[in-house]
Amino acid sequence: MKNWFLQFKQNPRGIVGLAVLLLWIFAALAGPAFLTHTYTGMDMESQLTGPGVNGHLLGTDALGRDVFSRIIYGSRSILTIALMTSLLSSIAGIIIGFTAGYFGGTVDTVFLRIMDILMAIPPLVLSMVVLGILGNSTIFGLTIIVSLAYTPATARVARGALLTCKGNEYVDAARIRGESHLYIMFIEILPNTIGPVIVEITARFAYSIMMIASLGFLGVGLQPPTPDWGMMVIENKSLILEAPWTVLYPSLAIASLVIAVSLFSDFISKVMIHEN
Amino acid sequence: MDFLKRFGKRLGFMVLTMIAMSFLIFFLVEIMPGDVAQTVLGQSATEESVAALRARMGLDDPFHLRYLRWAGGFIRGDLGESLYMRGVQINTIFWRKVGHSIILALTALLFYVPLSLFFGVLAGVKAGKVTDSIISFFGLATMALPEFVSGIILITIFSVRLKLLPITSIIPIGENLWQNLNILFLPALSITFVMFGYVSRMQRSSMITVMKADYIRAAILKGMPRNYVIFRHALKNALLPTITIIGMNMGWLFGGLIVVETLFGFPGLGSLTMSAIKTRDIPLIEACVLFITFIFVLSTFITDMMYAYLNPRIRFKRGDV
Repeated sequence: MKNWFLQFKQNPRGIVGLAVLLLWIFAALAGPAFLTHTYTGMDMESQLTGPGVNGHLLGTDALGRDVFSRIIYGSRSILTIALMTSLLSSIAGIIIGFTAGYFGGTVDTVFLRIMDILMAIPPLVLSMVVLGILGNSTIFGLTIIVSLAYTPATARVARGALLTCKGNEYVDAARIRGESHLYIMFIEILPNTIGPVIVEITARFAYSIMMIASLGFLGVGLQPPTPDWGMMVIENKSLILEAPWTVLYPSLAIASLVIAVSLFSDFISKVMIHEN
Repeated sequence: MDFLKRFGKRLGFMVLTMIAMSFLIFFLVEIMPGDVAQTVLGQSATEESVAALRARMGLDDPFHLRYLRWAGGFIRGDLGESLYMRGVQINTIFWRKVGHSIILALTALLFYVPLSLFFGVLAGVKAGKVTDSIISFFGLATMALPEFVSGIILITIFSVRLKLLPITSIIPIGENLWQNLNILFLPALSITFVMFGYVSRMQRSSMITVMKADYIRAAILKGMPRNYVIFRHALKNALLPTITIIGMNMGWLFGGLIVVETLFGFPGLGSLTMSAIKTRDIPLIEACVLFITFIFVLSTFITDMMYAYLNPRIRFKRGDV
């Protein structure tokens, strides 16, 4: 633990990243309690008012909805989906990748080929097509589909992590003791691969935020009236000359969150590599 | 000989991937809710006319037959007929859009390859110094931004503030892309933002690795000018991993084009894919997605071959590859 504090002191970028991320988490959890406007509340008196006018901190959009409130509410869905996606795709990846790597041989070869084939389609394209085909995306649907799109990549990482530990004596010892395969994989090996696994989860968290924002932007993310950062950008894009705040602030919200998470995940991977 | 063997193996895998992907895409579209004939004719159509159209389009045939007919058409170069734009052969609109996207991708390549190589080498040579910190931070930040966010930032700077470049990349009716080259700038720059991070990071780390190698240290200790060693000895070896990254990302770049083209309204493959999904134009969705996959697989294949060719350790290796 002490080591971690030391690492943090040497990596100001990591601190900044974590601080901004925590700020967004706080905004998502507690923010709505402080808001004076709701995300659907239309103020017909003040459509497209600039930032700071009539108590609208970041202005209003074409329907007179408060941009600031919509950004705060929007942070909830993106953080929830991204967190669940990074966890779910990592868990699925560990189960698949561990099974393949552990048993080796034909299982492993078949696994590798299937993953190579699935990785031939960019995750964004795959998710976009599936979501577009199924229509009406929900938080649940988005989470499942984005996780599935990421699983080939996470499974490969998990497999690689397992292979580095598989040859160790404690694995042989467990096998000779007569432990089950499941026990060896998840009780003996998993704790020893926790470093790369954590690195993968945090990196996946950053990718997921990017992906979910992009899907929202493409119109296949969460459907209105739920405020979605990506969607706010595209639905107001034509107003960029007239009312730039409607487009720029949601973009900056995305930018601050993804950059913060990337800085944090970069820090995590440095710490983990350092420890090994 | 080994090179040929590798070539054959990879080519085989490429074909296999394309077959598997075409099956997957066909299957995905198959589970799309709603009846195609009903969608085409509208809700008010009579049952008989829907049934007649189903029969005419061959929709009542079993799954494998329809798949084979569709895949067969692709191999012959027949992409089928659009559902949304009735009577329009996909071939007549598809390739022009693909051409636009390729020009956009090449423009982006022209921007980001020299930029990221230059700054990657600079960061690698100055590793740990302030220059390196600034370049690395910038790379990390731009890499994290989705293409549309960097696009909005660029539009705000170049179109809204400086009024230098157009906000949208639409080609006026009756004109072609060559008469409107300025519409390429902002979309290409948005792609550059994302790619810069990846490529410069890769270049930086391979530069650092190479600079630590014995033959480089020997050259410097021997008293050769530092810049000569960096550019003539180190760079040559440090470029190989970067070339791989650039090649691998070509397919990825085509996926990213969907976002960029949607933002700017650029008439390319990406916005075509998007509008196909919005209008539920099944044959067009299939054509677009399969083509994007093809570019992805092809670029991986070419990169792999180039890597093998450029790397003498693989080119001259004997025995099993």
